[in-house]
Amino acid sequence: MTCRESVPMNTSKKKISRSFQKWLLLLVVTAFLATTAFLWVFQTRLAKDNTIRLLELNIYDVRDTIKDASDENLLKLTTQIAAELNGTDEISPELLNELCRRYDVTDINCINSDGIIFASTYPDFLNYNMASGVQSAEFMVLLSGEDKYVQKYQPVSYDNSISRKYAGVLLERGGFVQAGYGFERFKEDIDQFVVGVTRNRHVGEGGCMIIADESWNIVSDRNGNEGKNLNVTGLHIDTKAMAKGEVFTADVYGENCYCMYKAQEGYTIVAVIPRSEVAQARNIAVAVTTTMQIIVFAVLSIMIYILVKKLVVNNILKINDSLAAITEGKLDTVVDVRSYEEFAALSNDINSTVDTLKRYISDAEARIDAELALAKAIQHSALPSIFPPFPNRKEFEIRASMDTAKEVGGDFYDFYFIDEEHLAFLIADVSGKGIPAAMFMMTAKTLLKSYAESGMSVSDVLTQANNKLCEGNDAGMFVTVWMGYLNTKTGEVTYANAGHNPPLIRHADGSVERVKSRPGLVLAGMENIRYRSYTIQLSKGDILFLYTDGVTEATNNNNSLYGEGRLRSVLERETSADINSLCLLVKADVDAFVGVAPQLDDITMLSLQYKLPKGEAT
Amino acid sequence: MTIEKIAEGTKLTITLIGRMDTITAPQLEVELKQSISGVEELVLDLAGLEYLSSAGLRVLLAAQKVMNRQGSMVVKNVNETIMEIFEVTGFVDVLTIE
Repeated sequence: MTCRESVPMNTSKKKISRSFQKWLLLLVVTAFLATTAFLWVFQTRLAKDNTIRLLELNIYDVRDTIKDASDENLLKLTTQIAAELNGTDEISPELLNELCRRYDVTDINCINSDGIIFASTYPDFLNYNMASGVQSAEFMVLLSGEDKYVQKYQPVSYDNSISRKYAGVLLERGGFVQAGYGFERFKEDIDQFVVGVTRNRHVGEGGCMIIADESWNIVSDRNGNEGKNLNVTGLHIDTKAMAKGEVFTADVYGENCYCMYKAQEGYTIVAVIPRSEVAQARNIAVAVTTTMQIIVFAVLSIMIYILVKKLVVNNILKINDSLAAITEGKLDTVVDVRSYEEFAALSNDINSTVDTLKRYISDAEARIDAELALAKAIQHSALPSIFPPFPNRKEFEIRASMDTAKEVGGDFYDFYFIDEEHLAFLIADVSGKGIPAAMFMMTAKTLLKSYAESGMSVSDVLTQANNKLCEGNDAGMFVTVWMGYLNTKTGEVTYANAGHNPPLIRHADGSVERVKSRPGLVLAGMENIRYRSYTIQLSKGDILFLYTDGVTEATNNNNSLYGEGRLRSVLERETSADINSLCLLVKADVDAFVGVAPQLDDITMLSLQYKLPKGEAT
Repeated sequence: MTIEKIAEGTKLTITLIGRMDTITAPQLEVELKQSISGVEELVLDLAGLEYLSSAGLRVLLAAQKVMNRQGSMVVKNVNETIMEIFEVTGFVDVLTIE
């Protein structure tokens, strides 16, 4: 079971997308407020400009309507007068006065082809040269091709205190006749018409036109105040202070309005439009644009958010996934986010960092391997490895082997003479593997040997070694030991067991049995354990087979254990094998069983064969 | 390996299920380190234990040593396989097996 430490995501840390969203929102709101403010100012200005244009247009319309109407009326009268004059040979003052009365005009002047007044209802005008005044000179166009001409109501050149509206029509005898209206007559003539002008006229939705005459009496008004003074509407026009054609504000019929006036033919034409209406138009425009803005900004920010998430955040997540794999130890993972130059650069940097890391690791591994190889050499050289070790001894033969699972292991075996007659031999298994086990093994091996060589009984050796090993055993390691003393003369083996699996003995007749004992606790497990000694008698040809659990617990790919049964059957089967090849045969059988499955534990064996018949000691 | 803990006052019962080997033994070591202080009666129920390696023995021994100082430790429901291991290694002499 493995437990990978995962660093919990710190929820107080901001996410890029969240942060970006916040700033984007802030930006959008600011942009929105700025554009809305700009729109408000712009629309207010635009609304006012539109209002001015609207007021002007209406005034021009009304003015032109009045002008056209009065022009037409006067021209009609003048044309009739000209027809009368064309029908007479003599233009007498009496005739002119008669016509003046009949057509109800203010004055009639006849001008000859030189532009001089030769007949007039006003004797003062006689012999006046039309070309001599600005107003009268306008009529000279009749002497250069035009057949009729109408002038607007204005002061006359002859006498500026008199205002008239004149029309002129060519006479058949040469020259032309000019008929004029005074204000009273002019008003009388067109007031009727003017009244109707404003009746159906609207300025915008709620605005209106008001027309007043020279004495500020209302001539035309939608509200029916004709004849009353302009004051009743609320308007006060000071022609000196307020320029024609300029916008001013006034309360008209109780409503605050933008107003503009212009004078035409003696009339003052006023156009008014409620300010609320202008504001409303502006407000609607702003509201519509604002709504559009909200939609555009919302769509835009969502799109930007999605885009950023897609381009940045997702790529970062991809890189993070690769990094997570690298952190888990898959150093061959290649970060490959190449959608944008920045991510490609980041990917390259990470890859080269991982490459450097891999190089360091392999360097470190090589160093550790070298050190382990050295440690292995030291460990192996500490174990007797030359066989036969005692070529001169004919009483017994001994053979041992150790195959470590890692470079260095925790198993060991040992044998040595403690005196002329007695051979000490042992097999041991340290808990755990690797360097710590190897170091503990060296300590245990040395202790056991020094106690054995000091002449202690085998049980005392284990008891003393146990107490010694318990001192400062902070790592809680322990070692199982099966140790025996062989009396080479008698074949008697005295042994003690500290938690080790019992050895097997193969008798000369081929039968295999366990070497029984009641094992004491493993060494270094607990202090003050007393180990007991046991004795067995070896006969000629008996083989004592010591092994560690690495043999019986060797595991194949089906997770089955090699087991003691298989070991026994090898020993039973290979009766002809000498002791030298027995260890190899067992190892070969274990290897065949395990197959390609990895070796999990050290495999150590020691076999001892007694060769003297009982009592044949030399 | 699954580790189940039941604490009743100063009594702690730990049930081990599965395999206790080199890889899983440290789990029990960590659990014991966390919860053993103040425990006067430690009960290890090994009914569900299938395999016990030397690494597991080491943890049991360490627990036994701690409990020798502060109370008692009982190992119960030991099956045949585990019992054999306890016998071979001499653990039967130091553990209280019920």
